[in-house]
Amino acid sequence: QSCKNLLDENPISQVGSQYYNTLAGFESGVRSVYSTLRDYYGREISTNLTVFGTDTYTMGADGSYKYMNQYTSQFGSNVDLLTNLWNAFYTGINTANILIEKAPDIPGLTDAVRKQRIAEMKFLRAHYYFLLVQNWGPVALELKGITTPRKDYKRAPVPDIYAAITADLEAALPDLPATVPSTDYGRATKGACEHMLAKVYLTKATSEAAAADDYTKAATYAKNTIANYGYKLNADYAQVHDQSNQQSSEIIFACQYTTDALTNGSGNETHLYFGMEYDVQVGMKRDIQNGRPFKRYRPTDYMLNVIFNPADRSKDSRYKKTFKDTWYCNNPASTGASKFDKTGKSFTFTAGDTAIYIPGVEWTLDQRKAKPYQVLVPSLYAANLFPTLQKYLDPLRPDVTYQPGSRDVFIARLAETYLILAEASIKLGKAQDAADAINVVRRRAAWTGKEKDMEITAAQATMDFLMEERERELAGELTRWYDLKRWGILVERVKKYNSDGAPNIQAYHNLRPIPQTQIDRTTGGASAFPQNTGY
Amino acid sequence: QERQVSGRVTGDDTQPIPGASVAIKGTNRGTVTNAEGRFTLKVPADAILVVSSVGFQTREFPVGNQNSLELVIPSTTSSLTEVVVVGYGTQKKSQLTGAISSVGSKEISELPITNARQALQGRVAGVDVVQSSSQPGAGVSVRIRGRRSINASNDPLYVVDGIPLSGGIDDMNPNDIASMEILKDASATAIYGSRGANGVVIITTRRGTPGKMTVTYDGYYGVSSTLGKIDVMNGAQFAEYKRESRRAVGQYDDSDPQADSKLFEAVELDGIAKGRTTDYQSYILRTGNIQSHQIGIQGGSEKTQFAVSGNYFKDVGIIKTQDFTRYTFRVNLDHQINKRIKVGTSTFAVYSINNGANSFLTNSNGFAPLGLTLRENPLGKPYDDNGNLIFLPTSDGLQSNPAAEVVPGANIAETKTVRIFNSLYGEWNIVDGLKYRFNFGPDFTNRRFGRFWGTYTNARRLGDPSALTNYSMGFNYTLENILTYTKTFKGKHNLNVTGLHSIQRDNYETGGINVTGVPAESQSFYSLGQAQIISGVSTGLSQWTLQSFMARVNYDFNEKYLLTVTGRYDGSSRFGADSKYGFFPSVALGWNMSSENFLKNVSWIDQLKLRASWGTIGNTAIDPYSTQTLLGRTIYAFGTTAAYGYRPATIGNSNLRWESTSTANVGLDYSFARGRIAGSFEVYQANTFDLLLSDQLPGTNGFASVLRNVGKTQNRGIEVTLSTVNIDTRGGFRWTTDLQWTKNDEKIVELFNGKVDDIGNSRFIGKPITAIYDYNKIGIWQTAEADLATKYQRKVGEVKVEDINGDGKIDADHDRKVIGSQIPKFTAGMTNRFSFKGFDLSFFLYARVGSTITSGFHQTFNTLAGRYNNLDIDYWSPKNPTNEFPRPNKDQESPVYSSTLRYFSGTFLKVRNINLGYNVPSTIASKLKMSSLRLYVAAQQPFIFSQYRSKYKGIDNETFDSVNEGQSYSTRQILFGINAKF
Repeated sequence: QSCKNLLDENPISQVGSQYYNTLAGFESGVRSVYSTLRDYYGREISTNLTVFGTDTYTMGADGSYKYMNQYTSQFGSNVDLLTNLWNAFYTGINTANILIEKAPDIPGLTDAVRKQRIAEMKFLRAHYYFLLVQNWGPVALELKGITTPRKDYKRAPVPDIYAAITADLEAALPDLPATVPSTDYGRATKGACEHMLAKVYLTKATSEAAAADDYTKAATYAKNTIANYGYKLNADYAQVHDQSNQQSSEIIFACQYTTDALTNGSGNETHLYFGMEYDVQVGMKRDIQNGRPFKRYRPTDYMLNVIFNPADRSKDSRYKKTFKDTWYCNNPASTGASKFDKTGKSFTFTAGDTAIYIPGVEWTLDQRKAKPYQVLVPSLYAANLFPTLQKYLDPLRPDVTYQPGSRDVFIARLAETYLILAEASIKLGKAQDAADAINVVRRRAAWTGKEKDMEITAAQATMDFLMEERERELAGELTRWYDLKRWGILVERVKKYNSDGAPNIQAYHNLRPIPQTQIDRTTGGASAFPQNTGY
Repeated sequence: QERQVSGRVTGDDTQPIPGASVAIKGTNRGTVTNAEGRFTLKVPADAILVVSSVGFQTREFPVGNQNSLELVIPSTTSSLTEVVVVGYGTQKKSQLTGAISSVGSKEISELPITNARQALQGRVAGVDVVQSSSQPGAGVSVRIRGRRSINASNDPLYVVDGIPLSGGIDDMNPNDIASMEILKDASATAIYGSRGANGVVIITTRRGTPGKMTVTYDGYYGVSSTLGKIDVMNGAQFAEYKRESRRAVGQYDDSDPQADSKLFEAVELDGIAKGRTTDYQSYILRTGNIQSHQIGIQGGSEKTQFAVSGNYFKDVGIIKTQDFTRYTFRVNLDHQINKRIKVGTSTFAVYSINNGANSFLTNSNGFAPLGLTLRENPLGKPYDDNGNLIFLPTSDGLQSNPAAEVVPGANIAETKTVRIFNSLYGEWNIVDGLKYRFNFGPDFTNRRFGRFWGTYTNARRLGDPSALTNYSMGFNYTLENILTYTKTFKGKHNLNVTGLHSIQRDNYETGGINVTGVPAESQSFYSLGQAQIISGVSTGLSQWTLQSFMARVNYDFNEKYLLTVTGRYDGSSRFGADSKYGFFPSVALGWNMSSENFLKNVSWIDQLKLRASWGTIGNTAIDPYSTQTLLGRTIYAFGTTAAYGYRPATIGNSNLRWESTSTANVGLDYSFARGRIAGSFEVYQANTFDLLLSDQLPGTNGFASVLRNVGKTQNRGIEVTLSTVNIDTRGGFRWTTDLQWTKNDEKIVELFNGKVDDIGNSRFIGKPITAIYDYNKIGIWQTAEADLATKYQRKVGEVKVEDINGDGKIDADHDRKVIGSQIPKFTAGMTNRFSFKGFDLSFFLYARVGSTITSGFHQTFNTLAGRYNNLDIDYWSPKNPTNEFPRPNKDQESPVYSSTLRYFSGTFLKVRNINLGYNVPSTIASKLKMSSLRLYVAAQQPFIFSQYRSKYKGIDNETFDSVNEGQSYSTRQILFGINAKF
């Protein structure tokens, strides 16, 4: 007998699956499904998938994934970021599946909490499937927990996936709370669920799963979100991305990050990617305030001249509040010749002096020469020099090289709900409803006193207008690629406005390549789990 | 006519042999040599001297007309009469039935090695030893007869003074080793059962002998330097390469006189104008040195014997701040309490400090500045005109000055190890022939890794300093009860029975803390609690247990017909509840043909033995807890409230059982012409089944992989060992050669679905365990092929891969294939020894031939993106239409199909060692109060011949499969050493 016990194995420092049969274990499982959000939001892949390869952003000087903007054949089945993301979503989905099945048998779990937790799992599962289906189209639809490994996967039709998503969200809605206590901030709520439903139906309406009532439902859920939960736009557009105001009344659902390294994990790394190369300029060095400029994403001319038309900047504050245009000297020791402004001037700064200014419009050489700092005008924009999106800059990082940023990633905010309502209303022929919704967003975006000038009429509330308005409001906020795809204009827009992607993009790029490992490891390989056409 | 002759008797290691008998053949006259091995004797004309001594072969020498004789008699260690250590006992070599090779203390001591495993390299057929890094304290990999297991470890078992180790032998002091025996076939390893699946290396340390106490000093000192720097581009080449990377995307206009000033920054333009090439490698390199000093005291009475040794070893690496220091102390004691009871101990303690190595816990975070150095822009300036270090020599934000990395205190990566290893035994001779032995082997290991990165390092790049520590406390013990019975019946039937019960338990605790924001750099990693941010805290515990029952019967008839039968019943805590135990039998036969009457009179045959064995052994080498479904911790927060979670991380498999290997082995041991030609020949086939295989799953499972017992692999091989005495003149000149040659073919026989390739895991039936499966590079798209290139969506100057199915496009499903095999066609080692008078010279060659390796080194340093410096390889440009490497392109961080650019031939030939020694004549030595004194100089790894290095600018392709980017330089060492005996 003692010989038998001798070989017993007891994993003391690790936790076995039995933990899920306890209340504490079950709750920990639910929290783990939220952590999957961080495998997308805050990672490089989220911006590579939504900012790159669109009409408003193209590639900057650096980065390994330029092909995701260029749509070259390197953008294929072996892109590690895509494989990791695919696997991460299914890890989250599988955990949700297991917990939904276990929920009825957890001792000590009250009915009310059980319902809420199941609803949260369904909300998140739907969220992950929604991202999967938008990117990859038909994917494996798994709604049961895996306890024995499988290899017999197949791709479910897109309508089945949308059916599962809407079923999950609609089932979750009644059981989710309208509000959560601050210690639970970031858990799913009714408002988040209705916003998601609105967006899913809006997206579904142009997919192969389209149904006649999709826009009606989208409009209804958007209206509910706006009306029923007390969400309120910030008074000033600049407050939306104020890092000290992350839990504002406008935020409906966000992926959570913190300033505590122990709970922040890899953190929100998006602050790395949008910056321009200020740090090698005269008078400047890299600092926490201005960030680490990886110069990955560069706004296109379309973004700078059409979306943010210079003529409108006197009434619409969003150009100024979206892009950083001034850098103050932080390195007085660095004096010398200007690098980019072509004036041939040499500068001496004291700390705090303006060192770089981006006027956003063309200045003559003489105008530039008159300034005691370098002036970056549009004709000098380059792969490493361009207006910098400041929504993600993260001055709360403890030191200059620190990567894990602490900004939450906004997944749903009220301004977008209004734009969803507007888009559904346009599609439903209700131009006045659309104009009303858009005007809420535009009035807030106005410089003080210019609110009236910002309003549009019902006649102006067209899809073309909305396509621009969305980007004015949501530039860099992880929606553009999905928007273009939803509108069916991805190829056309990239060909027109993104010169790096234009030569290569084709219709098949509306879907992403299935990871090769998924295909190779599925029984039957490519015949059982076929690659998306074109890859 | 009788005359007086004098002479000296030495062994083939040129050491004098005192007390040797020198007799005149055909008479009963003779003498005995003195302490210096010298004798004088009156001899008749045409006398033949017969020289013999214990431990040496008896040899005859005609006197002729010489008056002064140098008589060399070979030691028996090269003959078949030697006694070798086998599992749980010793056996005469003539009675062995298994495939066992030995390495003696002579081979070990003739190389100044830091690690006991290095002594095996090229010495033993079937043992593949690879040392790719020359970083101080770096480990060595050993494979015995190839790899069997895909998932489990393929490391052999090391047994030190009877105790199987769990912690490796890297802490051992090689100078303490008396002999190493390598057990290769199933019959020899069966006694170690599951532990022996990958072969067994038995290490016996020096023990005391009764008689005069001896004191020895063995020491060496040497200098080490790189065996050539890495050839990266110089300033002018870099400038041109950067231009070409812009030309490729139409951003460099050669007709524009301003083109350079648009492309390069000021410091680069200055560098181009001045023809500057900053050799950043020279800033991190230095001349290293290596030294070892050992004092040993041995002796004892009939009842008590002892051997005590202390050693100081220090290896100062060629990269600044990398070094390894080791202090070891050993006491071996044996005491006969009474006629029947004997007790003893081997106690070994080590304290070592290693700077630069990776963490023992995470195998990462070591100090390796080479990568940064190779990538640094050679046009940059490392120091300003006042001699101050420029931290950012160019505007490239990722490249800081490599010279800053080696500023003292900027980077600290220190591992400290304290280990105490004991082997205690008690032996009771119950009755004659029946013996009980109790072994207890406690092994304590404490390690600490501390890492600090200062502000002025590439890792921090002006951020706050960060630091981490890792701790481990290991306690492993072995408890064994052994009963042996030896009896000879009727003078001809020899029987030996061994029974064993054994328990081994391992307990391993770990801990770690990571922080950022160390307040003062001087605090290094010693005050982590004061840092701004605690970014990680962890502890862990891992335990496993093995319980075994074993029985072995050795029987021989008249030492002519030999039989060994072994059975072992092993239980491991690592397997599923119902499959913990496995039974592993083996049987072996031996036939001493030379003892047969029909061969007895064949004078040129000394010994001829045929052996055959078959057996099965198990492999337990999966991690503990692999059968269990475990949850992994996730990190999240709700607002600012921590929201840690647990989710399924591994999917368990409670049916996991022993991975087993059946090996059939046929061997022939031979010795001809009085030992002038001797060696062995082995042929084997090892079939591994119930393979413990990590089955990579489709991502849609939510799990990456699961362990299973499926599949089969096979290893087949031939091993040849040949020792020859080529020249042995009366004048005392002697030339001997030891040669070993090994060929091992490894292949996968079956996988999850039978004989079906598993593309997702790059595993192919009939191919080695890790096949190289990729697109097949067939060249570079040339200007004349522009149209065809466009059809394949490629541009001129890019890599051209084979369109295997010829469908006009390249896709992963149809255009990848198995590119090559990491398995060498053969490996070989050759040692030549020359001796004359007091001088001896040896050199040792080692070769691996015919493998294909993957060079992560090229993957990292041959990115051809026009940003970082690059290996100075032959890249395509319109003026240089090569087919080797593609055109630099600034728009891609690595070339299209870059993975195809990292496969190279793994063939190399190394001159491992050249060693010249001189035995100071005993007359002089005795004046120095020494009984013997040897001086030597040695050159370690003076030459490497390899196309990978010479043509493709690689670093060192001594590897089983891949050269990784973190690999360090190859070094050459010149040493001077002394062996003195008092």
